[in-house]
Amino acid sequence: MIAYLTAIVTLVGVRALLTLGLNIQWGMTGLVNLGAVAFFAVGAYTSALLAVGGVSLLLAWPAGVALAAAGGAALAVVALRLREDYLAIVTLGFAEVLRLFLLNEAWLTRGANGVTAIPRPLHAWFGGHYHLFYLLLVLAAVGLVYAALERLRCSPFGRVLRAIREDEVVAAVAGKPVFRFKVQAFALGAGVAGLAGILFAHYLAYVEPNMFLPQESLYVWLALILGGSGSNRGALLGSLVLLGLLEGSRFAKDVIPFLSGVRLAAAQQILVGVALVTLMIRRPDGLLPEKPGSE
Amino acid sequence: MPPIAQYVFNGIVTGGILALPAVAFSLLWRLLRFPNFAVSTYLTVGAYAALVLNAGAHAPLPLAWVGALAATGGVALAVDRIAFRPMRDRRPFSLAIASIGVAFVLENVVRFVWGNDFRAYDVPVARAASVAGLRVGREQLAILGAAVVLMGLSQAFLRRTRLGVAMRATADNPLLAAVKGVPTDRVIAVATFGGGALAGGAGVFLGLDASIDPLMGGGLIISVFAAAILGGIGSAPGALAGAMIVGIVEEAGTLVVPPTYKTAIGFVIILAVLLVRPTGLAGSRS
Amino acid sequence: MTMTTRRGLMTRRQLLKGTAAAGLVGGAPAILLAQGKEPINIGTLCPLTGAGGSYGPDMQRSVVAVVERINKAGGIHGRPVQLFHEDDQTSAEAGVRAARKLIDVNKVVAIVATWASAVTLAVRPLCVEAQVFLIGVSGADAVTQGDHKGFVARTQPNTKLQGSMYAKFVVSKKEWKRVAYLALQTPYARSFGDAFSGIVKSAGVIITDDLIYEDKKPSYRSEVTRILATNPDLIMLEGYTPDSVVMAKDIYKAGYKGAILAPSFAVNAKFIEGAGPEVAEGIWNMDRAPLFDSPGYKEFSAAVPRNDTSPYAPQAWDQMSIVALALAAGKGEASGTVIKDHLRAVANPPGTAVYSFADGARLLAEGKKINYEGASGACDFDAIGDILSAPFAVQQVRKGKSELVTVINP
Repeated sequence: MIAYLTAIVTLVGVRALLTLGLNIQWGMTGLVNLGAVAFFAVGAYTSALLAVGGVSLLLAWPAGVALAAAGGAALAVVALRLREDYLAIVTLGFAEVLRLFLLNEAWLTRGANGVTAIPRPLHAWFGGHYHLFYLLLVLAAVGLVYAALERLRCSPFGRVLRAIREDEVVAAVAGKPVFRFKVQAFALGAGVAGLAGILFAHYLAYVEPNMFLPQESLYVWLALILGGSGSNRGALLGSLVLLGLLEGSRFAKDVIPFLSGVRLAAAQQILVGVALVTLMIRRPDGLLPEKPGSE
Repeated sequence: MPPIAQYVFNGIVTGGILALPAVAFSLLWRLLRFPNFAVSTYLTVGAYAALVLNAGAHAPLPLAWVGALAATGGVALAVDRIAFRPMRDRRPFSLAIASIGVAFVLENVVRFVWGNDFRAYDVPVARAASVAGLRVGREQLAILGAAVVLMGLSQAFLRRTRLGVAMRATADNPLLAAVKGVPTDRVIAVATFGGGALAGGAGVFLGLDASIDPLMGGGLIISVFAAAILGGIGSAPGALAGAMIVGIVEEAGTLVVPPTYKTAIGFVIILAVLLVRPTGLAGSRS
Repeated sequence: MTMTTRRGLMTRRQLLKGTAAAGLVGGAPAILLAQGKEPINIGTLCPLTGAGGSYGPDMQRSVVAVVERINKAGGIHGRPVQLFHEDDQTSAEAGVRAARKLIDVNKVVAIVATWASAVTLAVRPLCVEAQVFLIGVSGADAVTQGDHKGFVARTQPNTKLQGSMYAKFVVSKKEWKRVAYLALQTPYARSFGDAFSGIVKSAGVIITDDLIYEDKKPSYRSEVTRILATNPDLIMLEGYTPDSVVMAKDIYKAGYKGAILAPSFAVNAKFIEGAGPEVAEGIWNMDRAPLFDSPGYKEFSAAVPRNDTSPYAPQAWDQMSIVALALAAGKGEASGTVIKDHLRAVANPPGTAVYSFADGARLLAEGKKINYEGASGACDFDAIGDILSAPFAVQQVRKGKSELVTVINP
């Protein structure tokens, strides 16, 4: 039981990191990214391929984060000049094209086979207790990133981002190089997503393209909106609630025996969609909204 | 005939199918001020509505198609009433996200009832005829014909009828239109029903040309988006032209890139248009 | 011999009992029919939803049917078998969470009936680490490669073997000189294609095109246009039922008059129904030949009524039987290690041929050596857990039904 719960909490932690990354982009800066899963995948694959190729994790992990951040910057430079609803479709399309790339360019990414036997950090040291170690590693990462982002939120940089989110024009008039800040925020969010991907890949010791479907981006959104966009704490709560729902439905089939198989999965998805719509109508600020004026 | 001609023909048929939801998507965007991601799922709804009538109640396909138009229009109206009307004054982004949620729900309701299996209408499968070296399928011709007719009717509606003119006026300037006494709610209802019906009709075409499964409409969202943006949001002729171009480029593109990257072609088109000429081919001020 | 669809061979009473015992296709553990002692826990991890969703339920039911029989025969060393079912949703991550639950919460000693290669590959490290035995039908090469310490096996022939058998058939049909390879994007599409093409080419047949297509598309017109432009006599179509139906219809509509060869698990009764008899007419299909006349296959068919003839359900039946026999060959302790240590002893020759758990357990109790011959085939494993060579049955769809034409031997 302990190992099972450890595994679930580890995966919650990974999702929470990904949601924190999206929060930088959307919550703090107001940038619409419907392709959150893209940089998650970039971090995961970069580190996995390097590590499997013999590169030390001390190099592979930072490389993964760096490439994710760089990719985020590149996409931002191209796409951030667009209006909000255009940006949505561009980021969505980008994530899907990336997945197709991962699937088809097998010479680089191993294609549908995925990357197996990804080395895990310090595996030999911890032996039987490895899962606990990894859980602590992930929780530490979440904690550090959370603390850093809270700091960031209250910093001058964070204030500029908030000003941009509220009203770009005013921020520009006030002399801030709005575009540069947006790119930086986007890249930072992408880098955090990349870190989440790295922890994910090395935990499972396996990655394949179908782990990064477009609906995963939707789930991250749901987690963020559930918890309260703009709030880092909300990001954590939302991830916990979301994975709880997804994992909980595993036990639901014991309670609702007539719903099984496809029907159960479809019903679960319907609930996700209804939750999304209801949240947008009723509580667009989520369960734990950012309190105004909390610096 | 050089093989490229076959691709162009295939692309025209694809364009014909895409044109209907693209027009719906484009006009609704202009009218309601947000991109309605559920439009591509209306295709799925229409296809299954016709399936119920055709395979279930044994109606001939043309009749089932008409039924699908009505059913999908109705669904679109219901969706608007439930999900979008409470949000009329919100920012477009919130509505877009809500529409994604709606798309998710519709797709999975279909999946709940019919499962994931691919289905087909109760029509015999026919080999394509060879016309001037091109392979031309019977269904393809029917689709093109019906699409042309629908496009013509939509254009006539928008240009010639009072309600159509009112719709365009509301799209251009809702406040002014309201002041002038244009019944905004009625306009929105008609546009929503009409847009839903168009998309539903296209769904039947897609089901006829390819096959019916819960993911059928959702897979087209990027292409629909590309067609609408290329044509210029708010322009029906633009959306038609955009759909044709997207269809042809996607099909012919498989000569250059592997067919698996078809979605990527649509995406590249979107990006290129947005960066170079965001108002699209026919677009006025967005 | 005619392959007919099998419907309702169970009596109503058997069906009711089976349904009750299975707790439907859900999570309830099987009713314990053996008495008293501490149960042995086994997990099933099948795709009940997702891409593999059409195969999972039959596989799960097969395992349930075998366990019923095991418990009725007195269990393993007097201990009843208790099943725990999970849906992997044909997703690697969901599969890992489910496997974690089976291993840590339910304390299973084996996980059987996995299907998707991605799931098996993702779950493999967990099983090896926890010394839980893993056996499934996944085809990707990586499943049995690398260091799995003997805890992994599969009852599906690996792709090299499969590719070579298909190639052998194609070469034997002298009229096919130009072959196009058209495969669904799966982890084994490439290695199957390479194995197939290599052998076929060395016999002088030309591979005119090699195209891997994407899943879940409503139409494959552009792919078909490209393939047909190369003028093949035969299209080697390697996919699953849903995409194969769409592809076959598009090929037909495009006017192709040549031959198509596909796996039988794709061109099954559901395919014929979905594509229609005109489209399906003449399509060649082949697959590992089950031992049709064996008592094992007969018992399986009677116990698990189903509408299609995919090879996965009989394999799941065999997987559970072999795991149980390996445990029975041990001293009474139940663990993945015991299974690993005795797997080949009960499944491979030499030994008296047995076709069910009950027969095998009886002989084992008498100290005899056994060789399990299953519903899906001889089930003999090599050192890394792959199945040794097996004969393949070749069929052709004629007037709406697949008919056996010949058997290709290795």
